[in-house]
Amino acid sequence: MWLPILFLIIGISLGFLTDIRVPEEYASYLSIAVLAAFDTLFGGVRAYLENKFDEIIFLTGFFFNITLAAALAFLGVQLGVDLYLAAIFAFGVRLFQNIASIRRHLIDQRLINKKLEKNNRN
Amino acid sequence: MSASTKWFISLVFLIVGFMVAIQFQSMAGEPEVRETRDQWEIREALQEQQDRQQELLTQISEADSVIDNYNEKSNQENIGALKESIQKLEQDVGLTEATGSGVELSVEVIFTEGPEVEEYPSLSPELLTRLINDLNTFGATEIAVGNERITNLTAIRLVNGSTYVNNRPLPSLPLSIKVLSDNPNKLADYIQTSQSKELYAIENMDIKTNQRKELTLPEYEDPLRLGILQANN
Repeated sequence: MWLPILFLIIGISLGFLTDIRVPEEYASYLSIAVLAAFDTLFGGVRAYLENKFDEIIFLTGFFFNITLAAALAFLGVQLGVDLYLAAIFAFGVRLFQNIASIRRHLIDQRLINKKLEKNNRN
Repeated sequence: MSASTKWFISLVFLIVGFMVAIQFQSMAGEPEVRETRDQWEIREALQEQQDRQQELLTQISEADSVIDNYNEKSNQENIGALKESIQKLEQDVGLTEATGSGVELSVEVIFTEGPEVEEYPSLSPELLTRLINDLNTFGATEIAVGNERITNLTAIRLVNGSTYVNNRPLPSLPLSIKVLSDNPNKLADYIQTSQSKELYAIENMDIKTNQRKELTLPEYEDPLRLGILQANN
């Protein structure tokens, strides 16, 4: 469990230390990729809590979502339609849903634990 | 969860962290521009600014002395001082004749003997502008092309195939260009070695220089149209 968080910290510090900057015209691609990555991460956490976690779905979902989001943004730029808004909307909604379901799961678990403790005392 | 999956997921986290950091950095704005000039460049910049300061101080002291003149003198003399400053301004602009030491350039045609018939060359606005720029670079104080005084408002244009200066066509070659300068010798030397001379030679024209102790430039005759100028508050 601690290994991913450690790697997250390593990634963040690497990003800050290398001093790479994305040119302004590509900033929207990166932002949408970050959003897709967050969506996949929270989706993974949710699936883990629901005991439905599958490594292959998680890994493929991560790369596929990022690529798809960037491709959609690229297509939008070429067509002159703000298609990246569609990706932001979709990922945003899913992000909220995932977080809400994670929250519910955690609360449910705590309630169950409390009830179990009560039952044990009785 | 197998060990390899764990590592893969960690890798995903690494990538996410990296992307977030880069995105954060990109949004944070441009890095501050670092000073990369070396000592000489800084000295040059300093020198430039000092020159500019000197120039401004001179202008301020001139203006101060004019104000002093106005204050010290009586009403009658005030008008005199005003007239004097108007005259000085007119001189600066080019509304009066200017006399002084200078160089008289004459742009002449180079005839080369050859079988083909050559066109009689004419002075294009580009070439004339170039020469005037060169003259200004070489320290000319006042310039007159033919009978046209060059002022800050002078336009050099191509109208119906002929070159117009001050809205009047230039005469055909040879053309005389009178230039006043504080150092006519140097100006003449510069012109002899300038790139303008080479460019003129390509167009079959030669620039000859005659130094004159006393040279009189005609005045600018048209009214000054200052419609486009605005007061600087």
